[in-house]
Amino acid sequence: MMRATVCLLTATTLLGGCVTANIDEMTFDAPVAGMGEGSIVILGRRHAPDYDTEPDFIDCIGGHVSRGDAGISVIPERQFIDSLYPWFEPRTAPLSIESVDRLMTVPSVANKLGELDLQYMIWIDGRTEDTNSSGSMTCGVGPTGAGCFGFGTWGTESEYEATIWNFGEGSEVGRMSAQTSGQSYMPAVVVPIPIIAPVQDTACESLGNQLLQYLSAEF
Amino acid sequence: MVERLLDLTTLGRKAKSALALNCLLILAACSSREVVVEGTFPTPVVDPVPVSVGVLFTKEFREHELVDDATGRGEASWRVSTGVAQVDFWSTLLPAFFQNVVFIESYEDLNTYDVDAVFIPEVVDVQYAIPLYTNVKVYEIWMRYQLSLVEPEQLKDDENQAITTENAQPFVQWPLTAYGKTPTAFLQSDTDAVNEAAVMALRDAGANFITSFGRVPGVLDWVANPEETQ
Repeated sequence: MMRATVCLLTATTLLGGCVTANIDEMTFDAPVAGMGEGSIVILGRRHAPDYDTEPDFIDCIGGHVSRGDAGISVIPERQFIDSLYPWFEPRTAPLSIESVDRLMTVPSVANKLGELDLQYMIWIDGRTEDTNSSGSMTCGVGPTGAGCFGFGTWGTESEYEATIWNFGEGSEVGRMSAQTSGQSYMPAVVVPIPIIAPVQDTACESLGNQLLQYLSAEF
Repeated sequence: MVERLLDLTTLGRKAKSALALNCLLILAACSSREVVVEGTFPTPVVDPVPVSVGVLFTKEFREHELVDDATGRGEASWRVSTGVAQVDFWSTLLPAFFQNVVFIESYEDLNTYDVDAVFIPEVVDVQYAIPLYTNVKVYEIWMRYQLSLVEPEQLKDDENQAITTENAQPFVQWPLTAYGKTPTAFLQSDTDAVNEAAVMALRDAGANFITSFGRVPGVLDWVANPEETQ
């Protein structure tokens, strides 16, 4: 009985809810032999009034790109923003590559960007949010033990767009997007068993793969 | 996941009683929230303005705090102390922004240091919003400052050998607004989120100060001729 319960728990924990992903891409001037020397930075947009692009999502994409091609140097977002304070704060962050040209007229900023040897700046805009939820669960505690019974479900949607700026050429060279959605479930027979749809992780992987295809010769 | 489970849960009677008792204890402990804002602030990347400035942080500025007492059932009282963080932040920003900066702490400092002007920041207003009140999943902080540039001579109270700001007439004075927000996050407490929003607001204050300084009426003339303009 105990063994069966453990097996059931392991199996259901390993199961993920289903995720649907739509990816789209429009790029120009991809580096044929990979981006070579230099570094990239991936930054989240944070100027919308009701949401911020999640920092952990930006870290996830950066990690995915670094793991995919060890030759690509990814500058961590927080380190980049702090080292160029205050020019990449929500109030001051450039919204177009033309604004970067204006920023480069400040000598200390131009020097700092030169030190970083930045080849590409990638902006990510979007968010993940829960949508509908339904179901109910009853939990009880008694002298003989505690347990839950019921079923709950909720949906999650992610929508992100990446914009790639080529620093050397001073131009926007591509846009990529990933829209993912999924339904998570939590049945409970004594113990609640979460079956989580990895919606944001799928969006991270999708965008990360698209970026690798653009920047890396190995991918 | 735990959050989701709690959302979905309907408890039995005994469990409800136990939970109600726990909630009462928790509410009694959590009816007041206190935040002493703390964070790390980067040195700005700017080309320094070629003037020599004294910086005076008044007692009110050093000890600034927002106090908001609860007015209704289910609300919590808030005390957000920003003074220490304000001093920390402006002490990092100003020495990088002006070519020479000294911090004025006594009457003797005013006599010792030869500065073109004394910069005095003042926090006029701080407001906050949390998801409980707005139904938007972000914590927000607004700050409004009044910034002044004053002749050093005007701050001297020779009779009492002290600094006074009472009769000082700034030759340049301007308002500055700042805004910071942080989204809700699972397992993040209200106080942590408000602290993070306040740090973002301070960073925004610096960004606004640096990018708008040259557009303040009278500032460019003063920078061009620091001694004549006053």
